[in-house]
Amino acid sequence: MSVLVQAPPEVNPLQDALRFERRVPPCAVVIFGASGDLSKRKLLPSLYRLFYERRISPDFAVIGSSRTPMSDDQFRERMKESVSKFLEDAPFDEDVWKSFAQSLFYVAGDLSKPNSYDDIRDKLDEVEQSHRTAGNVLFYLSTQPSYYAEAILELGAHDLFKGNGWRRVIIEKPFGHDLASARKLNEEIHKVLDESAVYRIDHYLGKETVQNILAFRFGNGIFEPLWNRRYVDHIQITAAESIGVEGRGGYYQEAGALRDMIQNHLSQVMATVMMEPPTVFDATNVRDERAKLLRAVRVMKHEDVPRYAVAGQYGPALVGGQQVPGFRQEPSVDPEAQTDTYAAVTFFIDNWRWAGTPVYIRTGKRMPKRVTDIAIQFKAPPLGLFQQETKTGLREVRPNLLVLRIQPEEGISLRFLSKSPGSGMRVRPVSMDFNYGSSFGERSPTAYETLLLDAMMGDPTLYTRQDMVEASWQIVQPILEVWGNSKFYFPNYPAGSWGPKASDEMLGQQGHVWRIP
Amino acid sequence: MSSAVIFPAQPEQILKGLGKLWTTLGQEEKQQGKPTVLRACAMTLIVATDESDGGYAASQTIAELMREHPSRGIVLAVSDTAEHDLEARVLAQCWKPFGKAQQICCEQIEITARPESWPNVGPTLIGLTAADLPVIFWCRHKAALDPAASADQKAGLQAIINLAHKVVIDTKGLAAKDAMQVIAGLRTQGRTVADLEWTRLTRWRQPIAQIFDNPSRETQFSQFTNIEIAHTGDQLPTIALYAGAWLSAPYKANVSFVKENGFGAGLQRITLHSEGEEIVFERTGPDCMLLHSTNGRKRSYSYEEPTDERLMTEELAILGSDHGFDTAFVRAKDLLR
Repeated sequence: MSVLVQAPPEVNPLQDALRFERRVPPCAVVIFGASGDLSKRKLLPSLYRLFYERRISPDFAVIGSSRTPMSDDQFRERMKESVSKFLEDAPFDEDVWKSFAQSLFYVAGDLSKPNSYDDIRDKLDEVEQSHRTAGNVLFYLSTQPSYYAEAILELGAHDLFKGNGWRRVIIEKPFGHDLASARKLNEEIHKVLDESAVYRIDHYLGKETVQNILAFRFGNGIFEPLWNRRYVDHIQITAAESIGVEGRGGYYQEAGALRDMIQNHLSQVMATVMMEPPTVFDATNVRDERAKLLRAVRVMKHEDVPRYAVAGQYGPALVGGQQVPGFRQEPSVDPEAQTDTYAAVTFFIDNWRWAGTPVYIRTGKRMPKRVTDIAIQFKAPPLGLFQQETKTGLREVRPNLLVLRIQPEEGISLRFLSKSPGSGMRVRPVSMDFNYGSSFGERSPTAYETLLLDAMMGDPTLYTRQDMVEASWQIVQPILEVWGNSKFYFPNYPAGSWGPKASDEMLGQQGHVWRIP
Repeated sequence: MSSAVIFPAQPEQILKGLGKLWTTLGQEEKQQGKPTVLRACAMTLIVATDESDGGYAASQTIAELMREHPSRGIVLAVSDTAEHDLEARVLAQCWKPFGKAQQICCEQIEITARPESWPNVGPTLIGLTAADLPVIFWCRHKAALDPAASADQKAGLQAIINLAHKVVIDTKGLAAKDAMQVIAGLRTQGRTVADLEWTRLTRWRQPIAQIFDNPSRETQFSQFTNIEIAHTGDQLPTIALYAGAWLSAPYKANVSFVKENGFGAGLQRITLHSEGEEIVFERTGPDCMLLHSTNGRKRSYSYEEPTDERLMTEELAILGSDHGFDTAFVRAKDLLR
């Protein structure tokens, strides 16, 4: 019997890790929901940008799929329009587009019809040959969440998770609408797909500045010793938007601020800020630590919810000389809607590092400005030798505040006390500032560029894992249940303000006040 | 904002000048009652130049570079019209990021030396480097780099090299053989050396390298046994030599160089030959490149002549040794033999 031994592919000797972008394997990207808003605004512009910057393999193809009947050329034309319109901080080059467009294909289909999956498989076979995609396929579910389970089961049933190369699936949020539905969805997915092939996207984690939190914490030795209950008084995480629901009233009415922001983005940000250092910087270790932190968050009892969570909804107001409608006056919103457009929650982390240190998270629409930041308030010195000058006189303070700014002025600032010039020992707070954008003049990749590349490269560090998703649902679940059974007297804050009074009172009971970011 | 001429150009006087500059900028901040200026510095970047513009182009490039690589910039210009033997001026290079209220400022020191004072610049520079940060020396002083430079010119150059962690030169325009000699001379002193001609090659190298990332491709890189490099001009440009060296280093492929007309100076086309496939990457217009293969695949790239700023931005991001360049350099010397 003769045995044929195939020589392993040679290692590429031309690679230059110092100067070239990260190596990305050849692959096909299949986008379900290709005519939707996300594809037009984010996915295709990101893929084009990666192509323009030579960051994706020359051997790649994109297969768009949605119900709308279209030819390849019509799809290319539509996408060209979107890419040139929504490309962020980057030029649109006609020649480069022509090259890129050669790799764009379209398959019209309905996710609920089995023959659509056969068409996708045929197209994948075709591009595997014509575009040498090596059988690697990244499926992107950018569809209605109600289709996630069905689409994944059908992909499995049509053997689309088998082939010559790797198969991965990116799933957009929301991943479930509560703990039970998230668990159910996970169960369904795992019938046909291993967890290692599931990439649940949370675009917040793809933001450069969120990734920089890891670099800041674990690349420097000076802060970590202070990063615990002994030195940190409390933490405030703010994600404020100045806009309202912007035509998404129908969707938002069902979701609300707690589901839309705190359950996913902000709980992941909290985990990034507060997790233990991983022993190795790889996907498994980083995600293990994030998950551990989320599991350590104290789950509220129903009776504690009114004390530790505040719901709000904006009402009409005059902002900047212009009349702004309240949420209930927004198009496609129920005039009696009980939706939270503002949510503030006090979390406690029951582990050795953070026991007793409150973490306040707030998010809302129609706030005075768009800002996302994390403020770590350090404790006051054990002995107050100095009093700080304020407009209203002299007072003792907790001077040290570290602010990690996620957007829009990405950076880090540290506040500390300094002696005021002149005679006498009067002190005032000053700030040491690092500005991300101005310190590194180069363009930062968008979150979707980063996350798409990571998925192509099989790096799930910035994606959420099943246990992380379930843990983050677990911590908001009692709040959802109590709020679901409550009758709120909305609106309770005017558009253009920092939220309802009850939110200030929530912090007041711990002796704290919200910062003005 | 810049100071008056500082003479004599002693480090202490120059540093005092910088101190005054920041005090003045700080006063503006005090008047406005909010932070208006942010000082940034990640390295000392020394640029020596014998260009006739008295260092103007070098200063402009440093000003551009500071957005990505903020530095204490020291421009050392040699001019026989200088009033004093060695004089200095300090200034702040500032820029305001779009939509931001605060300016980012880097300090810059401009030193002008008469040619006869060039050998004496070392003691001045040694007191001016920013503490605890790397020192990069970008040598635009062509005469001092010339193998036929005078002893004085070499002494001045050596004084700066002694301070530097990395030396950057540009061999564009030099015959490849002379270029190799200059670089070999610098490397024997144990410095990390970079050549901007190698940096120019990155935009050619990356697309070619990407082709061979695909493990399923039929023709593997080792099967491309003949490499042809086409260039403009009568003498072999260093970038063409580097291209041949880079591609032939792993498996010692045969390399041939051909002259032809093309778009702009330097490298025009790289062709990789194997028995079953030919891959060509070439300039097809003033602002366009095309990568194509006999297997039918084609891909267009935009081409833009890289500016000094772009090249230096890439080089300043690499402060340690550069294995890719080291390997190509050794092979390039072999090819010239």
